Amino acid sequence: MADKIYDLSQLEELAGGSDEFVKSMIETFLEHTPGQLNDLVQAYRQGDLETMAGIAHKIKPNIDLFGINEIREDIRQVEKLGKTGQNSDELPALIDKVNTILNKSFEQLKSH
Amino acid sequence: MDVLKIFVVEDNELYAKMTNHHLSLNPDNEVEIFRKGKECLDNLYKRPDLIFLDYSLPDLSGIEVLRKIKQTHPEIPVIIVSGQEDVSTAVELLKEGAYDYIVKDENAKERMWKATNNVKENARLRDEIEKLREEVNSKYDFSNIIGNSQAIKKVFTLIEKAAQTNITVSITGETGTGKELVAKAIHYNSKGKSKPMVAVNIAAIPTELLESELFGHEKGAFTGAVNKRIGKFEEAQGGTIFLDEIGEMDILLQAKLLRVLQEKEVTRVGGNNTIKINARVIVATHRNLAEEVKKGNFREDLYYRLLGLPIELPPLRERDNDIMLLAKYFVNEFAKENKLGKIQISSEAQKKIMSYPWPGNVRELRAVMELASVLADDGKIEPENINFNSTDSIGDLLSEEATLRDYTSRIIKHYLDKYNKNVVLVAKKLDVGKSTIYRMIKNKEIEI
Repeated sequence: MADKIYDLSQLEELAGGSDEFVKSMIETFLEHTPGQLNDLVQAYRQGDLETMAGIAHKIKPNIDLFGINEIREDIRQVEKLGKTGQNSDELPALIDKVNTILNKSFEQLKSH
Repeated sequence: MDVLKIFVVEDNELYAKMTNHHLSLNPDNEVEIFRKGKECLDNLYKRPDLIFLDYSLPDLSGIEVLRKIKQTHPEIPVIIVSGQEDVSTAVELLKEGAYDYIVKDENAKERMWKATNNVKENARLRDEIEKLREEVNSKYDFSNIIGNSQAIKKVFTLIEKAAQTNITVSITGETGTGKELVAKAIHYNSKGKSKPMVAVNIAAIPTELLESELFGHEKGAFTGAVNKRIGKFEEAQGGTIFLDEIGEMDILLQAKLLRVLQEKEVTRVGGNNTIKINARVIVATHRNLAEEVKKGNFREDLYYRLLGLPIELPPLRERDNDIMLLAKYFVNEFAKENKLGKIQISSEAQKKIMSYPWPGNVRELRAVMELASVLADDGKIEPENINFNSTDSIGDLLSEEATLRDYTSRIIKHYLDKYNKNVVLVAKKLDVGKSTIYRMIKNKEIEI
């Protein structure tokens, strides 16, 4: 298995030793985030940048919480660009990266 | 308060779960999660102690939810939790009544924890203040002024009337009749009862200090004024200022007091700014102020300004059966406080109590009855346990062995003082001709 792209230390610290809590948080993450990611990509494709920014805003704390640090800055950039309403050249690559990394994290977390 | 009921309004499942977990580490916290702003508003009837509100919700914006909460439940602290730091939004939210603004970063949970504890501590203090206030209120309830006589019932009616408005009240009565108790009963039954009641005894403060005591002073206003000082009038803002022994006030300061009462504002000594005052004024004196006005010791304009609703407290000797009622009350209270068991008053002792004029009024009665309770044997107060230490008691008078003429003039003077210099009444009481009294006054055998 490849190196873990997530870091649960913040979550574990919060859990204060409760494995059950960590488990339930992972379940919740896997339950909601894929749908959100899907909506994010959809909104981008439809050029609805405002909705895209809103979804990015919602996904952002999840990425932070699960320590998916590779896209920590990228998701912020997506939100920022969406908010200003400019369909920047950067966007396609950013969306692609967020999409890839998050999907990878779903796979890895499923077998945690 | 034992349980702190916390609402978390958050549409992000993960964040909601995390917040719930974190706050629930303290078993005293009872957390309820809502996904939408409307759900939170619909559940406000449960009266949460604290609300954590996510700024961006799917249905309503954070500021809308905040406004709605503040409209119906302004007392509930609302803490906004936001995904990003935005100073101008934060300032706006705080202006709208948010208790705090927390950004969802790595410090968020610490700040939530701290905020929760703050709210808990505030709620505890609020409860405590509420409890103390109730205690104080019941302490100065009407029921603390005891009596069934017509004379005191008239006073009760006036207190009630005074409490309904913020009219100035002037209380007169001999020493020990309970002028301060009446002032407190008015204050603690009136609208401003949650605001301070500030009492100043004019006779107890040296004239040169009184002005700054009442109106305050600015730093450096005079030698020794090292710091700024708030005066009693300012302290009493919204409540009551009680000026006891107003008859003793220096005539120069009376002019300043009059100005304050007319303008409803004070200027601190050495200051330039005026400060609006809205305290109710209650004054008391054992003197006959109308007489003092005639003698030129009290300003006439101030007298009328202060008269307001006059309440005249009857001396104890004019309160018929109240004397025994109060005597028994004081004995019971004293016995209860000191765990002495039940104490009775023998009928001879009762006669002795009833036949004494009580120049020191209720205050004297209380002291005498407390001493009698201590001296009493076998739970019964006998005449020998009742000691009057009044300075003009007849025993003391006789031991001086003065001339009869001297005695006569002293007795008449005593009566004249007691009955407000009413010569006709005194002549009748002592069964002498009023011309006798006038002659003695004229010959300076009696000084009035």
